[in-house]
Amino acid sequence: MNLSESKDFLVSTASLKEVRVFSRNVFEKINIPQDQKDELVLAIAEAAQNIVKHGYKGIKETTDRMEIKISLKNDELEIGFFDKGKKVVPENIQHRKLDDIKPGGLGTFFIKQIMDNAVFKKDQTGWVNHLILTKKI
Amino acid sequence: MTYKVTEDGNVSTVFLNGEIDMDVTDKAKEVILPIVDSGKEVHLNLKDVQYMDSSGISVLIESHQRALEKNTKVVIKEVSKSVLKVIMMAKLEQILNLE
Repeated sequence: MNLSESKDFLVSTASLKEVRVFSRNVFEKINIPQDQKDELVLAIAEAAQNIVKHGYKGIKETTDRMEIKISLKNDELEIGFFDKGKKVVPENIQHRKLDDIKPGGLGTFFIKQIMDNAVFKKDQTGWVNHLILTKKI
Repeated sequence: MTYKVTEDGNVSTVFLNGEIDMDVTDKAKEVILPIVDSGKEVHLNLKDVQYMDSSGISVLIESHQRALEKNTKVVIKEVSKSVLKVIMMAKLEQILNLE
C-alpha cells in the first residue's frame, strides 16, 4: 500500500493534539499493529514538540505554520517535518543520558528508539528545517 | 486534561484524565507540586490517561524528585498500558513508584 498525506499546523503547543489526531487518522489506513501505531504517533508528536519547544524557543506566539507529511511506499514509512524556526544544527542534538534522571531531554531519545533513521535534509525550498524520519514497517 | 483530587488523611490522590502533553504540563504541575510541597503523600491515578509524551514523563520525574526532597513520596497508580510503555521506554519503571 502506498499513501502520502500532509497537513500544516500553527506552531503552538495547542496544535500538538491536532498533530496526533492527524497522525492517528493516517495510520488508521495502514495495516500495522496498534502498538506500533501508538509508537509512531508518539515519535511524530515528539518531533513536532521539538519544533515548538526548540525551533521557536523564546518566541511566545507566532503565526508561523509547520507542515507534516506522512508517506508510505513499499513498506517504507517516511515522515517529513517542515518548519521556519531557528536553523537546527544536527550535531548539537543529543538526548540526556538515561541514568541521569531529570525532567526533560527524552523526546529525541524516544524518536531514536521508535524510528530507524532521522535526518535533516539540506535542500528544502521555502523552509528553514526539513527533518525526515523513516522506518521500515 | 482534567483532574480530580481526593483526600484521605495524609494521602492526596490526583486523578488525571485525558492526554498529557507539553500543552498541559504546566497545569499538571500546578496541581501536583503544591500538594507534594505540603509534605503529603501523593497518589497519581493514571487509569484515564491514555497518552503521555516526554513532557508528561518530565512531570512524573519532577514530582518524584520533589517528593524525595520533601521526605514524602509520589505513587503512580493504575497506569494504563500505553503510558506504562512510555515509562518503560524511558527506563523509569524501577525509579518511579509504580503500583
